Amino acid sequence: MLKKLKSAERLFLLIKKQFPFNVSSVNKGKICNEMQRLINDDPESWLNTISIWKNLLELDAKKKRLSQRDANLLKRKMGENDTVITKKLKAEQMQKTQENREYQLEKQAEEETLAQGNFLTSREKLQLEECQNEAAEAAGTPSQNDLTFRVSCRCSGAVAKTFSAQEVGRIIGIALMKQFGWKADLRDPDVEIFIHLNDIYSVVGIPVFRAPLASRAYIRTAGLRSTVAWAMASVAEIKAGALVLDPMCGLGTILLEAAKEWPDAHYVGADVSDAQLRGARDNLKAAGLEDKIALLQVSVVELPLPSESVDVIISDIPFGKKFKLGKDIKSILREMERVLHAGGTVVLLLSEAHCRSLTDGEESSIPSNSEGRRTDEPGAEKCLIPEGETGTSETVPPSLEASNQECLPKIPPFGSLMPVECYKVSLGKTDAFIYKYKKSHSSGL
Amino acid sequence: MKLLTHNFLSSHVKGVGPRGFPLRLQASEVRIMPVEFNPDFVARMIPKVEWAALVEAANTLSLGEVPTEPIQGYEQNEDFLRTMHHILLEVEVMEGTLQCPESGRVFPITRGIPNMLLSDEQTEA
Repeated sequence: MLKKLKSAERLFLLIKKQFPFNVSSVNKGKICNEMQRLINDDPESWLNTISIWKNLLELDAKKKRLSQRDANLLKRKMGENDTVITKKLKAEQMQKTQENREYQLEKQAEEETLAQGNFLTSREKLQLEECQNEAAEAAGTPSQNDLTFRVSCRCSGAVAKTFSAQEVGRIIGIALMKQFGWKADLRDPDVEIFIHLNDIYSVVGIPVFRAPLASRAYIRTAGLRSTVAWAMASVAEIKAGALVLDPMCGLGTILLEAAKEWPDAHYVGADVSDAQLRGARDNLKAAGLEDKIALLQVSVVELPLPSESVDVIISDIPFGKKFKLGKDIKSILREMERVLHAGGTVVLLLSEAHCRSLTDGEESSIPSNSEGRRTDEPGAEKCLIPEGETGTSETVPPSLEASNQECLPKIPPFGSLMPVECYKVSLGKTDAFIYKYKKSHSSGL
Repeated sequence: MKLLTHNFLSSHVKGVGPRGFPLRLQASEVRIMPVEFNPDFVARMIPKVEWAALVEAANTLSLGEVPTEPIQGYEQNEDFLRTMHHILLEVEVMEGTLQCPESGRVFPITRGIPNMLLSDEQTEA
């Protein structure tokens, strides 16, 4: 069920979260002790989290076996509180209610619409505080002693100057072995412990699944990461019966995510490259979506489509790192504008460089109609952490909020394309912006 | 390439404009691929279809009797919807050509994908 979270990269069970280690003191040993305290101060929370994780995985395995059986037999309902941790954000917010009766747990997932446009980190952390307490009673202590583990460490900021990731990993590993008697296994552990130490927080958690949620069963070769692709599709307002075009589809990742989630539309993908189209065709076949998605070998600046014939355009504009962009971005936008219906939506993934070339040389003309003219300032707030409604929200250090205000470039309208929203996303090594435009109706309203 | 897709395509050869529709279809290899029937989807596509173009293309492929226009109350008429579903979605042109009616320029269809690049623009991935 958790696998239905489409724009989350990975899901973790949070064990501990606290303020960053104070590294100003030069005494390495002291910090060493602090790290060990992560484990030794509160072994209970460790054991609880492990048992929850075990339950989750058992349930997952059982669900697969009982595919024929009545769903009533094994259900789970879990409380989920999505908290945003890092600055670069992108995902959809989930709200669930929680109930826990021994092993009779019911699981429901409701997706909240993007009306609020709140986006979360590329790594979502799952917090099950209440669940932990009850799980302690219900869990019946599965044998915790024969677990093998591996510690994965990421350090940045001040801590990284004093300790290397390996050192931290070793400190934590040894402490774990001493506290719980678990054995370390670097190749194929039962549990992976993730530790992130930086200037903003110190977090420890366990990933719920081995493979990141972002890796999809139905995509053979991914181009753009599927979480961002899905998120773009969901911002695009794909309605039933729409004609959706990706004029630079590459391997078709965006179209695959969209067609999977919103099957009642006609999807068309286009690319200039033979090799990419071949890959796309493979992907479509593997996903069983060949019927929903048509492929064309055409150029994005010369689309063989009549004007005003497309309802939605979603595209990842090549950044120039992996693939060359043959034409300049303005020509591309112009052609997209031409084929788009009035009232249609364009969602683009742009690099910082693209944003700059769209901002330079374009006078920010004030349109005569105010329709659809929301500036992208609300987007800045949308990057911020939503307060959890169940009361277990995280307090955000003020530095986080301030830095987000400056992060969004203000792109002016492009012809009749009015900017609606903008989201900054992390693509791992680089950042990008999801930009949404709406085509306004012809002048004169 | 399905007939539904063909119905949306128009020639982008310079200077041709709306006279570039519809593209004349020739097929040397056609496959019938069964597709799950979704009446709602078909009903939504019907108003978007350019019927003359569809009929012309279907006739070129000798698909037999093709309705020349949507029936009154087509949304509820399952027979009609099934027929349209078959014509629009289940016929795949695997090999053939598309020709711009105005300029005469010919574009090949290879393994189901029409190549409509105007200049020599292929990039290697």
